[in-house]
Amino acid sequence: MPPVVNKEKCIKCNKCAEICSEDVFYGSQKGEFPTVTYPRECVHFNGCVSVCPAPGAISLRIPLPIQLVFKPEVDPL
Amino acid sequence: MQEERIQTDVLCIGGGIAGLMAAIRAAELGVKVVVVEKGNVLYSGCGRMGNDHFETYIPKVHGKDKDAWIEELLRTAKGEILIGKNLLRAQFQKAYDIVKLWHKWGIPMKYKRKWEFAGHSFPGRPMTHIKYEGRFQKKVLIRQAKKRGATILNRVMVYDLLKEGKKLVGAVGIHTREDKLLIFNAKAVLLGTGKCSRLYPSLTPGWMFNDGHGGTQTGDGRAMAYRAGAELQNLEMPQRHIGPKYFARFGQATWIGVVRDWDGKPAGNFVTKPDRRYGDMICEVNKLAPETYTQQGKGPLYMDCTEITPEDHDYMMHWMKNEGYPAMTQYMEQEGIDFRKHPIEFSTYPLRGGGLIVANENAETSLQGLYAAGDEAFGDISAAATFGYVGGENAAGYAEGIKLTQIKKSNLTIKKVKRLIDDIRGRENGPEWEETTIALQQTMLDYVGKVRNESLMKQGLAHLRFIRKKAEETIMAKNSHELGRSLEVLNMLEIGELTFLMALNRKETRGLHVRPDYPYTNPTLNQAHIIQNVKGKNVLGWKTY
Repeated sequence: MPPVVNKEKCIKCNKCAEICSEDVFYGSQKGEFPTVTYPRECVHFNGCVSVCPAPGAISLRIPLPIQLVFKPEVDPL
Repeated sequence: MQEERIQTDVLCIGGGIAGLMAAIRAAELGVKVVVVEKGNVLYSGCGRMGNDHFETYIPKVHGKDKDAWIEELLRTAKGEILIGKNLLRAQFQKAYDIVKLWHKWGIPMKYKRKWEFAGHSFPGRPMTHIKYEGRFQKKVLIRQAKKRGATILNRVMVYDLLKEGKKLVGAVGIHTREDKLLIFNAKAVLLGTGKCSRLYPSLTPGWMFNDGHGGTQTGDGRAMAYRAGAELQNLEMPQRHIGPKYFARFGQATWIGVVRDWDGKPAGNFVTKPDRRYGDMICEVNKLAPETYTQQGKGPLYMDCTEITPEDHDYMMHWMKNEGYPAMTQYMEQEGIDFRKHPIEFSTYPLRGGGLIVANENAETSLQGLYAAGDEAFGDISAAATFGYVGGENAAGYAEGIKLTQIKKSNLTIKKVKRLIDDIRGRENGPEWEETTIALQQTMLDYVGKVRNESLMKQGLAHLRFIRKKAEETIMAKNSHELGRSLEVLNMLEIGELTFLMALNRKETRGLHVRPDYPYTNPTLNQAHIIQNVKGKNVLGWKTY
């Protein structure tokens, strides 16, 4: 579920749904909480987070297959 | 299904950098312009979250030797692209004017009041790319297009171009949020629809939208151009990129680090410590390095920024903000991953569909009245902006000189598209777009992938045609969004089939087109490889640039 909406902070403006080019929020209605209808189509570009006027109302959860691979600080053996 | 008809002089399909620049220039010249965009123009195309490199010649910096700049680009950033020098020369003539325009409009093209050259260049060689703050570039371009009177329609996916006889008269498409057919009657059309990104499996095959270019670029422009009879070129020449493993992002030239192995040994010989001016050009000269290292039992490879100075770290973070990295850097912060402590594994990205719509230095395609710019024709931000602008200018000039030809009620393409979408929306059972895309991608990877030979490709072509026919007869969509996705995969199946035909016809090994049955590069084929639909038949041939 890449974009995660915090219902306590969301002001239901649906700007996120308006701008998402992949239309992950398809079917969302202004005045209601945005619905993440097609989470697998998220491209993780942060557009929804950038346009959101309510701080902390939306964030991206980066899915497990997309986690970065980085060199461990300590040898795992 | 509800229908809406819209008349315009110039129709720009795709609202990325090229489409918006075309709209700006055409509207400025006084013609009526409509831009249609499948997503939302504010966050569509490759420039959606910003860019930080713009290739340009600057007279005061480079002096009068124009050929040196062109030769350097052919040697470096443009080295893999099979295009002629005419296009580069035209870009060279115009790009600096575009730089000045963008700067005036509010896209900062200077850094600390100076031209800042960095990245995409070799130590000791001419610098070809300026750094610019492109984070809000789409916002600025939308404002400029609207200011000049261009109309922007979001959530419209054009599927086919319309002709009356041999004349281009517009396009037909759908709304991706409501069941509505849109018919555009236009004098000239510009395609700025981007690459075909989802032809092959992604970096994370189960997660197909993990792509540095976003998910909406599905070769729609080249598919409709082909169906309308325009020439396409080199679809069989795939591309591969390099970038952080599993989190697909382009823009490797923004990183200030050294590509090293597990033991810290540099993979190339360009830099031995992080250098803000050059980055590590091994990423540009050998994008296959991470894959080769792994195959040779020497992997993995890392982009190692751990020796970066505090000043260079701040500099890199500033440019990452402009190059579409905020989602990644915010995630890194949450996870405690730090460029200064952790080398990040770099990976050779999977195959991507290659090729382009043939367009000349005026952005004219082989079909009169049809123009193409951006990744559909000749990519990167500078070229998209330049040829978008040039295409808009020429489309406007062409539109002014002709009368609008009305679309007849009997237009066969409209009837065909209506039937297609009614069928897709009317079915209650059948494969949906995702299932169809998986079938396409596995066939492309297995049969016209990294290594190709005639019998393998013939088998793959037969299978792809089998899948394509089944998809056309049975694909279903529950709503208008899924209808758009279904039309995308039908376009990709078309481009996939053409890729097979062109790969079979290129009887040589060249770049990433590897054919053990023709292991040598044939110098007589240093030409444009063309495919065209002539009266329903595929005609393949070669043309000099």
